[in-house]
Amino acid sequence: MKRFATAMLAGVAMSLTLSAAAHAEGKIIGVSWSNFQEERWKTDEAAMKAAIEGAGNTYISADAQSSAAKQLTDVEALISQGANALIILAQDASAIGPAVENAVAEGIPVVGYDRLIENENAFYLTFDNKEVGRMQARAVFEVAPEGNYAFIKGSSADPNADFLFSGQMEVLKEAIDSGAIKNVGEAYTDGWLPANAQRNMEQILTQNNNEVDAVVASNDGTAGGVVAALEAQGLAGSVPVSGQDGDHAALNRVALGTQTVSVWKDARELGKAAAEIANQLSEGTAMDGVEGAMKWSDGPNGVEMNAIFLSPNPITRDNLNEVIDAGWVSKEVVCQGVAAGTVAACD
Amino acid sequence: MRHVVSVLFLSVGICVPVLAADGPVVPNFIEETATAGVDAVYEGDWEFMVGGGVAAFDCSEDGFADLYVAGGSAAAHFYRNVSDVGGKLRFERFEAGLELEGVTGAYPIDIDSDGITDLAVLRVGENVLMRGLGGCRFERANEAWGFDGGEAWSTALAATWERGASWPTLAVGNYIDRKEEGFPWGSCTDNWLHRPAAGANRFGTPFALKPSYCALSMLFTDWNRSGTPSLRVSNDREYYKGGQEQLWRIEPGATPSLYTPEEGWERLRIWGMGIASYDLDADGYPEYFLTSMADNKLQTLASGEDPSPRPTYADTAFAKGVTAHRPYVGDNLRPSTAWHAQFEDVNNDGLADLFVAKGNVAKMPDFAEEDPNNLLLQRPDGTFEEAGDRAGVASVEIGRGAALADLNLDGLLDLVVVNRWHTAQTWRNTGGDTGRWLQVRLEQDAPNRDALGAWIEVRCGDTVLRREVSSGGGHAGGQSGWHHFGLGDEAKGEIRVIWPDGDAGAWQDFDADGFYLLRRGAAPTAWTPG
Repeated sequence: MKRFATAMLAGVAMSLTLSAAAHAEGKIIGVSWSNFQEERWKTDEAAMKAAIEGAGNTYISADAQSSAAKQLTDVEALISQGANALIILAQDASAIGPAVENAVAEGIPVVGYDRLIENENAFYLTFDNKEVGRMQARAVFEVAPEGNYAFIKGSSADPNADFLFSGQMEVLKEAIDSGAIKNVGEAYTDGWLPANAQRNMEQILTQNNNEVDAVVASNDGTAGGVVAALEAQGLAGSVPVSGQDGDHAALNRVALGTQTVSVWKDARELGKAAAEIANQLSEGTAMDGVEGAMKWSDGPNGVEMNAIFLSPNPITRDNLNEVIDAGWVSKEVVCQGVAAGTVAACD
Repeated sequence: MRHVVSVLFLSVGICVPVLAADGPVVPNFIEETATAGVDAVYEGDWEFMVGGGVAAFDCSEDGFADLYVAGGSAAAHFYRNVSDVGGKLRFERFEAGLELEGVTGAYPIDIDSDGITDLAVLRVGENVLMRGLGGCRFERANEAWGFDGGEAWSTALAATWERGASWPTLAVGNYIDRKEEGFPWGSCTDNWLHRPAAGANRFGTPFALKPSYCALSMLFTDWNRSGTPSLRVSNDREYYKGGQEQLWRIEPGATPSLYTPEEGWERLRIWGMGIASYDLDADGYPEYFLTSMADNKLQTLASGEDPSPRPTYADTAFAKGVTAHRPYVGDNLRPSTAWHAQFEDVNNDGLADLFVAKGNVAKMPDFAEEDPNNLLLQRPDGTFEEAGDRAGVASVEIGRGAALADLNLDGLLDLVVVNRWHTAQTWRNTGGDTGRWLQVRLEQDAPNRDALGAWIEVRCGDTVLRREVSSGGGHAGGQSGWHHFGLGDEAKGEIRVIWPDGDAGAWQDFDADGFYLLRRGAAPTAWTPG
């Protein structure tokens, strides 16, 4: 592979950020964002940048603005800026291949950030989605160790939906096999939309004469739809409901008692971990030599990769203070409408 | 190579371009939806989330393009063009016998080569071939022509005349199994190839093009100038499992076969919705614009010609400025969703421009809800600049099918866009500092009177403009009739046709700003409307 001509970069609108705190002898870590204007990545970036600069390295970045084609040229530009390691949040995992191959040909290691880039030469970092599912099921099971269970799954077009469900079933399998728990209805939620989740939940309630004792919902959006359906039947608060994402409205529901758990993925942890992996790789550490790396091959094409899966954090009434202390959400938002003396974090 | 002449003109010149100081001339499109009389709405629930095509063709034999617009779950409507030359666009709804329900789109083709345009109508349910009777009246011809309309959810069509055939071959693209509403993923149904029955002027039993991957656009195109068009299929990755874009080799008398990675065809997975083609770089081979969600693709042949081209394409969309991947007006930063695409010269500067109809599937949260249509004007250096807002066509209704066509025969291409759940929109192009033009209609003896598969070449200044005559592509709708060329400031030029059998006609002179009938073997005949 010949080195690309710099002329290719002419006219490419780049948003390269060179850190003022760069150490001359440090390495350069290039980060390619899929669409940086999405608010959620700003938190990741702050943590990432801090950990890169803390190690004496330099953070540079580019924003693909939702274009997979632009992302390919962004990665080339980051390489030409001297990046010693790359962190890529892929806009389209199936289109990013040529960029990874370019980097590999240049001897530059790549970390696939949050979204799977299924390439044996890329490192994969994300939260453990199976563990999210396990945490959801555990929290609900603790409240309702037996009875009728409903499962409101995610979008069937999203592979994560099945990872989550398989984690949930892992925890509940024994109780289902013994007959303690009965699966009285499961449904995918088209587009993860709360309105669709609510419709599915209403159907399951009707089919079971409202005899549903627990609901395992796969994220906070769908949990919101579920709680609305339960509220209409006067069941909200008495039926445990799971969720994930730490949505502000969901954390408020946790405080109010209408939702049991929201599994929270702390973006700061993900950003920091990516930086630490890239720092090591830039120093020449082999992918399988990265601290905490494991072999993984559960992607759609079964490619064996080196990966780290961060453990998420189940937020219940008992540890709501953690999201407040982290600055993720204000106490006012979490505790809106909560009666005094019912939730420690709100007092 | 048979078409040696086509590669003699290597430099991408232009026909003395009309250029404003700060870029291409932006044509003025005046929206006339309220008065034009095209009141069709593409209605329906999930079975009509795709489709919504418009067919533009002349069935009243006055030279003005009439319109047939898909209605989805509502009846489709036919509109007769009653515009005056250069005047406001005016259409009247007319009972043509085409008022079917469940229509997703339609393509005009003279199937029986009787000189009257017929219509292939795509539906959720049975597809119907409608025989043109003259005077814009049509009758069902499935039985008479041996056409099995199936019962699938049909979303794409392409037509060709295979070498030596007296009857056309139709490819029909089928989408999800419509019985699988609960879990449609991976349920793509077979596309069908309707070839002529042996020795008869009717269709034989359809052939299933396996594997099929939820096609939303198909095009017969002679990508390698071999003289035999192949079938390009653009597929929706949202619903297939293990699929990709496809190129079928369709040789007369042979079983269709897919081009393979060994032959150079590279795996590409997009949310394929529409195909537009044009020889943008004047190398004799068409470029292909593929619409999708987020990035759109502009494919140009990447292999050399020695000994013959391989079907390997490079994506030049980003370099040319046509990724058109998110809204360019408003503050919505989520990616956009593209459907119909068409290359035409809207400012008559001699450079093909690109229109793209945009619109969310319905309310997909990860994609822009207000998604303006694109009008990308080509610059002399081959890059494009967005002018949809300046031209006045940046509607944020939920666009689907569309047609750029000269609806009032003034030399400027007008626009119709079909919208989901909203009235179709009509714009009249009133020009501005635009250039000269030429419009031609082809005619040869039966079969294939409209000369599908021909190439039209216009020599203009130091370059050759080149168009392939096809029926297919776009999103669920096609056109027949006039082929339009912008000429910049050139008052004269030369034109020739390479007919579908490869026979190249002589170069013939023409004067700009006129219509010509190009009958095979005859001198161009000037034609005047009215």
